[in-house]
Amino acid sequence: MEKKIRVACVLVAIVLACAGVSFAADYPTKAITLINPQAPGGTLDIQARAFASVAEKILGQPVVVVNKTGATGMVGGLAGAQAAPDGYTLTVGSVNIPNALEWEIANGRKPAFTRHDFAGIGTFTMSPTLLIVPMDSPYKTLADFVAAAKAKPGQLAFSSGGLYGMSHLPAEIFGKAAGLKFRHVPYGGGGPSLTAVVGNQVDFSVNYPANTIPLLRGNKLRALAVIGAKRLKSVPEVPSVKELGIDAEYYGWVGLLAPVKTPKPIVDKLREVTKTVVQSKAFVDMIEEPGDEVNYMGGEELMKYMDAESAKIAALYADMVKEGAK
Amino acid sequence: MDVLNNLVAGFQTALTFKNIYLCFIGCLWGTVVGILPGIGPLAGIALLIPATFGMDATGAIIMLAGIYYGAMYGGSTTSILMNIPGESASVVSCLEGYQMTRKGRGGAALFIAAWGSWIGGTLGIAGLMFLAPLLANQAVKFGPPEMFALLLIAFILLGSLGKGSFFRTAPMILLGLLIGTVGMDQLTGTMRFTHGIKELYDGIGFIPVAMGVFGIGEILSSVEESLVRQAHRVRFRELLPSREELRASWGPIFRGTGLGFFIGLLPGSAHVLASFLSYTLEKRLSRKPQEFGTGRIEGVAGPETANNAASESAMIPFLGLGIPTGPAPAVMMIALLIHGVRPGPLFISEQPQVFWGLVASMYIGNVILIILNLPLVGLFINLLRVPFRILFPVILLVCLVGTYAVNSSVVELIILLVSGVLGYLFRKFDFDIAPFILAMIIGPTIEMTFRQSLMRSGGSFSIFWASPISLALFALSGVLLLWNVYRALRPKRASWEKVLEEGT
Repeated sequence: MEKKIRVACVLVAIVLACAGVSFAADYPTKAITLINPQAPGGTLDIQARAFASVAEKILGQPVVVVNKTGATGMVGGLAGAQAAPDGYTLTVGSVNIPNALEWEIANGRKPAFTRHDFAGIGTFTMSPTLLIVPMDSPYKTLADFVAAAKAKPGQLAFSSGGLYGMSHLPAEIFGKAAGLKFRHVPYGGGGPSLTAVVGNQVDFSVNYPANTIPLLRGNKLRALAVIGAKRLKSVPEVPSVKELGIDAEYYGWVGLLAPVKTPKPIVDKLREVTKTVVQSKAFVDMIEEPGDEVNYMGGEELMKYMDAESAKIAALYADMVKEGAK
Repeated sequence: MDVLNNLVAGFQTALTFKNIYLCFIGCLWGTVVGILPGIGPLAGIALLIPATFGMDATGAIIMLAGIYYGAMYGGSTTSILMNIPGESASVVSCLEGYQMTRKGRGGAALFIAAWGSWIGGTLGIAGLMFLAPLLANQAVKFGPPEMFALLLIAFILLGSLGKGSFFRTAPMILLGLLIGTVGMDQLTGTMRFTHGIKELYDGIGFIPVAMGVFGIGEILSSVEESLVRQAHRVRFRELLPSREELRASWGPIFRGTGLGFFIGLLPGSAHVLASFLSYTLEKRLSRKPQEFGTGRIEGVAGPETANNAASESAMIPFLGLGIPTGPAPAVMMIALLIHGVRPGPLFISEQPQVFWGLVASMYIGNVILIILNLPLVGLFINLLRVPFRILFPVILLVCLVGTYAVNSSVVELIILLVSGVLGYLFRKFDFDIAPFILAMIIGPTIEMTFRQSLMRSGGSFSIFWASPISLALFALSGVLLLWNVYRALRPKRASWEKVLEEGT
């Protein structure tokens, strides 16, 4: 009897070992979950669901987006970082993840995970923000705007989707580069922040092309500049701040991350699939129709980019915390 | 005439076999997620998005919108029958609805809830159809100062939500406000009472607390009363509302429609606020406010209508401008986007077949829902015949599963159970639960809008009377406050005259 069990154990071990080898080749054999740390309806959600709809066809397995929100993305990020590293649970990452961690550090708290807990798979987009004003705003050009902000330092108010988030930082970075001071009014989410600027509740706002450009086309907003180095394809008439002599850039990347211990063959396969999806016509159409631009960056490059950006953001946060304490 | 022509074209789109079928599926699923505690329309829509990939944009939005307004119908069922809110907007239906069930009028409450939902929904669509572009542009002007002024009125009305004495209501309001402060302060990033628990960063969820204090609290105190509490057999005629009940419902239904439609335009989870405000309004207007809390039909009719009207008008900013004001419209917007239709200011003029097809389907959907829901009243009422010793554990299980299913969070389960014990204690010591829940909902928003207003103005209070809307709302709250003071101070007939009468 005991012998039989021993034999069975060996057999099981062999089967398991074989499964381990064939694992990457067969991958995926079941549904893949994408954890979106942000609320349904946001930029991440749109892109993740667009990605899922194309990736399903290539992978031959369902790709399910699950929103796990909380603590400005920390709850979902933590779940993603601690997920089993088998390639079946990935995280919809964005610039918010390294930023939220830096913010914790700047405030003297120890984050529950770091960006080193992830392996980059690839980005979907890396879009700059647009500086937008209400339709009946007196400012027609960036020069008007800068002159007014100089004349009334600290009085022009802007809305953002939340403190130190994707739509707050570009305005801070722009203000620093141009030597301007603004009043910050955080709203609970990107939607309410846009509502505030369309409804003339604030003087200006910054937001991403996918949210903003339909409103520009419908004459509900005016864009003064792209906060970045280049103009956008979808609104070529809007100048970039760099052209106008202000050295400010910020790109809100959105992409996929896997737990860092995911086996290399699976990571490679995911990187390859992501590249195919991001360059497919179906995906590009879904992203570019509302005015955004697809921008693929490979996983390893993304990790290096995150390192460089996080250093800059950490310095900015340290300043903000110091100013806030005053 | 333009509207009518467009509507005819919309019905041509919506009345194809396929679109009626999709509308039916959406409404059915919406009713189901409404009934299931914990899972609301948001999760319901998100779950079915992948199922729409093979459809065209019109079909997809018809189905998803069906889930959204269908959930408003379903949500009242468990509130009324078991005191468990099936959906956040139906919390208030627990107050009167469950009391009606205990008096054997649960069928009538369900009937009126469905009927009010139908009227609120249908009139809401009419408002949406005629006024969408106009209202969308007005709604975005409603900023933090106006929102603060509106919530101040709600806050003053809070006091009258309780059954009786100041000392039984005020502590509950304070406790609700206190629980509302837990979480990360959105304006400065400061942590409040989170004790390093990440799940508390976003505050204590309102759904688990409401399910706990109402549902689980009820179960605990019922168990104590008697396990063999006998549910009486309901005859079919008792399912229908009596003539007096119908007559008493008309006013609340129409007021609820107007109120709900207006509140629905505002940002945030408007239908929760709409239903609560409708309840307090009805209590205020009632000739017998002291009977509220014992099962008044007005307290079901008004709120259940208001949340349906609000769910229709909440789609106006999303359809008219492409800016979703609540989470459920936001998910619908994504679904449209995946199908290559981007809602925005030009949506109605560029995609008339989608917009008008949707509008027409919503009329059809509301008819489907009332046909679906009225027979269900008879079915659900039979649940009450199940012996309590079997029913209660099942309810408890459904509450736990429903709560866990939303965020897969153990912390929320703990919140649910702790709230259940709290709810039991509140009942024991005869404190009012409604003001507690409402304070918890409006507390964080009233604080945030107040501070946002002052951040906008750089600390100057003049921002609160800068716009005519907020000025008018402040004047109204002043009048309400003075009226409250007057009522409290005026000589009470009962106190001395009764003594005299008894003396003679």
